[in-house]
Amino acid sequence: MPSPPPAAAEPSELIEALRQADSPMGLLLATRRLAEACHPGAAPSLVEVLGFNNPGAAVAAVDGLIALGEQAVEPLLDNLDGHNYGARAWAVRALAGIGDVRGLELLESALACDIGPSVRRAAARGLGQLRLNALPLDQQASVRQRCLDALLAGGGDGEWVVRYAVAVALEHLLLSIDRAQPGHHSGLRALQQLAAETGEDTPVVRLRSELALARLAGQTEH
Amino acid sequence: MAADAEPIDPSPAAGAPIDEVEALRRLSQSEDLSAQYYAAWWLGRMRSQNPEALRLLCQALGQRQPRQAEAGVEANAVARNAARALGKLGQAGAIPHLLQALDDPDDGLREAAARSLGELRASAAVEPLCSRLASGPTVAGAPQPKSSRLQEPCEAMLEALGDIGRSEAQVLAVIESFVTHERPLIHSAACRALLQLTGDSRWGEQLLALLEHPQLQVRRAALMDLGAAGWRPALEPIRRTLAENSLKLMALRGLVENGDSAAGAGAARLDDDTTALLAVMDDLL
Repeated sequence: MPSPPPAAAEPSELIEALRQADSPMGLLLATRRLAEACHPGAAPSLVEVLGFNNPGAAVAAVDGLIALGEQAVEPLLDNLDGHNYGARAWAVRALAGIGDVRGLELLESALACDIGPSVRRAAARGLGQLRLNALPLDQQASVRQRCLDALLAGGGDGEWVVRYAVAVALEHLLLSIDRAQPGHHSGLRALQQLAAETGEDTPVVRLRSELALARLAGQTEH
Repeated sequence: MAADAEPIDPSPAAGAPIDEVEALRRLSQSEDLSAQYYAAWWLGRMRSQNPEALRLLCQALGQRQPRQAEAGVEANAVARNAARALGKLGQAGAIPHLLQALDDPDDGLREAAARSLGELRASAAVEPLCSRLASGPTVAGAPQPKSSRLQEPCEAMLEALGDIGRSEAQVLAVIESFVTHERPLIHSAACRALLQLTGDSRWGEQLLALLEHPQLQVRRAALMDLGAAGWRPALEPIRRTLAENSLKLMALRGLVENGDSAAGAGAARLDDDTTALLAVMDDLL
């Protein structure tokens, strides 16, 4: 990828354009432009867009925040909207996409007790894809164990979409946990339960869990 | 289908969690209407298989009460909730009672009854639903005076006809007359039913066009309708449309569970087509 042209000192013009947007489409386009600028100063404004009840603009803002990576983590953690679960869902989705370990506690508590199913869903997904390579090995193991514990509990969520996300996250997480570890076995058992008609009444969740098990089995053959 | 971004159960307002015995007790008393209202919802949500649940809900279907606008209580709130719950129990014993509710003067109750008859795949409802809709978009589909509601709850009735699955020519003719209804949600419901009943892709194409409608509420409805029909060519347009991921995920679940490959064996299998669908769902989480 070619390196971006040197950005202006502050993306103030683009932020101003965002503030002036007076239609859903105008907001979407202004958000896209601000996101594409990929400037750390844009993060707080992009976080603000998550609360505007404009799904198109929110998608663009999430993409922009994920592209900013760890620079967006603090603005996201500092500005979580306790009153708007739609906004929280997008914010948690951005944190999940960034995969920064500073989001761990938030993801754990969101999956365990947020009232919005879309927030719990995004949190589950995020717990399967934290980027841990920069951490010392013993810390990696303890973070993975915390993710696993949170996901095992999330497998009992009342909403199908949260259990679906748990299945997806377990697949990712188990790929990075050694088969000899006890955690690997408990993860597999949870997936088997989500794949069985006796344990899971939503067909699409069973199918996704079955797919996860097949992929994990395929991986162990190599 | 009209769709909220995300349904959240009313449980926090209703106090401590209850069990089936308690729900049946609350439904069988009649002093506290809000306790009855909650109990009816609870029994449906839990898909109670207790025979007492069926009996008490059918009884509650006969309960009438005025609307209390200031308290946010709809007319016949208990009866409407009972009608909704009866659709979820999956018991044919509820059908005669729901058919009776289809003749009630309260259009909100008719709406709930129609939806539940659709969920129960009640063939006996096809004729009464068609006769209520037969006057077409200009009569059955005309707005009530000083209200945004229509004479008949057309959306629920059209969807019920699609769910029940009887595709005789006269049924299709009634539904087709609503394709030109001026309200996009009714248009969407008619296309959904026709797509379910005929599999003809021209109805699917019309729903795809609604996925690009300027109003979010219409795009949400088209998403739900494509999901209900399980029309798999909609995968990519669903992925791209500007709506909440929750709604897209619900629609894609419909494509997996109601789609073509699901029809054969009675359950969807992990073929390439389904695996591709699941990959799109993963990206939306």
